[in-house]
Amino acid sequence: MSEKFEHLQFAHCESGVVSTLLTHYGLKLSEPMVFGLTSSLSFVFLPIIKLNNMPLIAYRELPKNIINKVSKVLGVEIVKKTYKSEDDANSDLTKFVEDNQLVGLQTSVFYLPYFPKDMRFHFNAHNLLVYGKEGKDYKISDPVFEEAVLCDEQELTRARFAKGVFAPKGFMYYPKNIPNNLDFESIVKKAIKKNAKSMLTPFPYAGVKGMRTLAKKISKLNPTSDPRYLKNYLTHIVRMQEEIGTGGGGFRFLYAAFLKEVKKYDLDNELLEEASSLLVKSGNTLREFALLCVESSKKIDKFDPNKIAEKLVEASTYEEKAFKLLKKVQ
Amino acid sequence: MQKIEVPKEENKILEGHQKVMYSTDEKGDFQRINYGSSVEEFATQVAVEEYEVLKVESLENIKKGLSSPIEYFMFENRMDLPTLASVVEMFQFRVKRHLKMKHFKKLNDKILSKYAQAFNIKIEELKDFKV
Repeated sequence: MSEKFEHLQFAHCESGVVSTLLTHYGLKLSEPMVFGLTSSLSFVFLPIIKLNNMPLIAYRELPKNIINKVSKVLGVEIVKKTYKSEDDANSDLTKFVEDNQLVGLQTSVFYLPYFPKDMRFHFNAHNLLVYGKEGKDYKISDPVFEEAVLCDEQELTRARFAKGVFAPKGFMYYPKNIPNNLDFESIVKKAIKKNAKSMLTPFPYAGVKGMRTLAKKISKLNPTSDPRYLKNYLTHIVRMQEEIGTGGGGFRFLYAAFLKEVKKYDLDNELLEEASSLLVKSGNTLREFALLCVESSKKIDKFDPNKIAEKLVEASTYEEKAFKLLKKVQ
Repeated sequence: MQKIEVPKEENKILEGHQKVMYSTDEKGDFQRINYGSSVEEFATQVAVEEYEVLKVESLENIKKGLSSPIEYFMFENRMDLPTLASVVEMFQFRVKRHLKMKHFKKLNDKILSKYAQAFNIKIEELKDFKV
């Protein structure tokens, strides 16, 4: 396998890894399809959960959603393992690669030596693939990078057993028993409706409403208060969106690509096209929003909370329209 | 369909790497395209710099006898209190105490070695920390 395996770069680590795994084990599925079928587009703003003293803001479903939902939605059996002992985790992994089995791992970013230094933070829900071993080095296909990389056994183990929020506990996974004759038309329909429901939830900290709650929070920021806090807060929003959110409205573009791809399944194509286009608009608007946040944190004296909040509200209206349409998919 | 603007700016943080995003080609089909975003670069820089500022502040507080070296190494390793507490497997309130010099001085080697392990340093680097 290691000879045949071809590394590919993806927009998002979890959807990229699952797409590669499924394709490798016999079910060809693109990254947007994996993302869409698992209804992964979301928005979550949870001020109670703190990461480095900043609220949790996610632009998609929480980590492991894709891995967990793939089995539910497609009926693919996913073997999932966590470990108590580092040695067991390592010998298992080595056994798999020696058997030429491709496996996915959840790791921390901080301990991975091949990441540029300034990208290394304690983010524990990074996904990558291991496809081989050379001496003490594992051959890794990390979806964020253009090329396959090597990682020393000791350092990879450290990354697999990092502690903290979303601690991976050596989490390893791969698909088994992929069903034939999947009825994609009905699967797609269900997945789209499900995502529409979650984006239109009345819960004020998620979906479209969550975006507006965050907008309200931004509009209430006091431009004359602690500039250091404001700068950190605004750039934190951007980091959650851009760095972990794959470029601007990355997840919006990913979902828009999914809607475009499923047009082949005899659904209401006009509706899909319109929703896809609305999500592209939202993605572009989110990028403008990020730009405004960064400009403001560069020049705090020019910080206009309402202007920034309005941009986010604008993006949320596109998404509301898109998902109200998608709810009607027949 | 509206066009997706793919930023082609410099991002030094990535040290020459490039990430990908989805965008449409002339035919309106989605493709993965490399991009570089200065917005991303700035946001990450701010987060990196924040830890540098926290380290400088910590050093000043160590000089004054308020903060302990554990606090310095916590920031050096880009950790916050919940992360460090989780790494050393202690309650947050306990770790918070250890960040203060007066409590730090009373710590025995067993506890100090837990911290040293968390930071991947020798126990002496904590004990003989010089500002």
